[in-house]
Amino acid sequence: MQRYDYLKLIADDAKDALSVSTGWASREWWAVRPSDGNLKTRTLGLVSSIAAGLAIALPHRKVIALDGDGAFLMNLCGLPTIAQQNPGNFIHLLFDNEVYEASGGTATASRHADAVILAKGAGYRNAKWVKSLEEFRAAFVRAWQQNELTLIAVKVEPGQPKNLPALKLDEIENKYRFMRYLEATEKKGILNPGFDSKL
Amino acid sequence: MAMAIEDPINAAALIVAGLKKAGINFVATLPDEKMLEVIRAVETDKELKHVPLCREEEGIGICAGAYLAGKKTAIIMQNAGFLNSCNALTTTSLQFQIPILMLIYYAGDIGDRGFTTLGSVTEPVLQAMGFRSYVLRRQEEIDETLRGAQILADDSKKPVAVLLTKRVLGVK
Repeated sequence: MQRYDYLKLIADDAKDALSVSTGWASREWWAVRPSDGNLKTRTLGLVSSIAAGLAIALPHRKVIALDGDGAFLMNLCGLPTIAQQNPGNFIHLLFDNEVYEASGGTATASRHADAVILAKGAGYRNAKWVKSLEEFRAAFVRAWQQNELTLIAVKVEPGQPKNLPALKLDEIENKYRFMRYLEATEKKGILNPGFDSKL
Repeated sequence: MAMAIEDPINAAALIVAGLKKAGINFVATLPDEKMLEVIRAVETDKELKHVPLCREEEGIGICAGAYLAGKKTAIIMQNAGFLNSCNALTTTSLQFQIPILMLIYYAGDIGDRGFTTLGSVTEPVLQAMGFRSYVLRRQEEIDETLRGAQILADDSKKPVAVLLTKRVLGVK
């Protein structure tokens, strides 16, 4: 199974959740769950931290991080910070293909380092490996309903389907559409042009 | 000229009040010994959301996420922590045009023993990254500087740095 198979499975379950993704997963997620509530990150590792910032700031909204093993391992120090904040609305998904896929396929250390043990050691109360599509979906739905910080990790084969539509957004457009989407769905002003500022 | 009063608790209260007058409501921190009282004051303030960090770079990510959701964010760290954050500041803050007010303790500032290597690279790196920065030395300039820096950050949608000195922090 590839990451895409898992993403496809939860696209409907994710409803209006905000998502933060990294690497090749972004194109797959946009294909199965197109939304202005999707944000694609550029800093390797920060997907979980950016998602956590959103989750802390919007405790009533579900936030999903689509993490990869390379990014996860690069930002291990972010895990205790997230666990300490313990945002119940944050679902941390880890698709572990054991390679730096977007950087040419070199092996990561994840075949030796156990992400679930790392997350538990960092203070995540809910962290588990799942081994099948059914288990993955059930764990996702449970994390959503329980409303507790959860890491769901799954080993996947590298690669993605051919002919997925390319993302047409650069970072700036992605950001503005994301913020406008939040304004519309949260019914509040966020962007504040300088000339209109009260500061 | 009157000597600066060595009263870090009072200095911390002034800085936190300045942050709030500048509209800041979300603060990520990683300690330096010289900023302990500031961080304590952030932690105990009920109007500020405080996120203690393990490494400064993740704080840039957390603050970026909070900004997208409408928070006005600041990060409090040492200049070594600023150097730790440079990739995130480039590929998240600059690339997505996300503002953040950085309160950076200026280790290795003029007269400070033990940190001159760090002090020497701080302002050149800030400049190389295109970040406007202001050295804050006088307590009577706290409000104006923090408010002005936050206006710049918000308006330019870029990080802006305020370098905090021992004198303004009321520490030796």
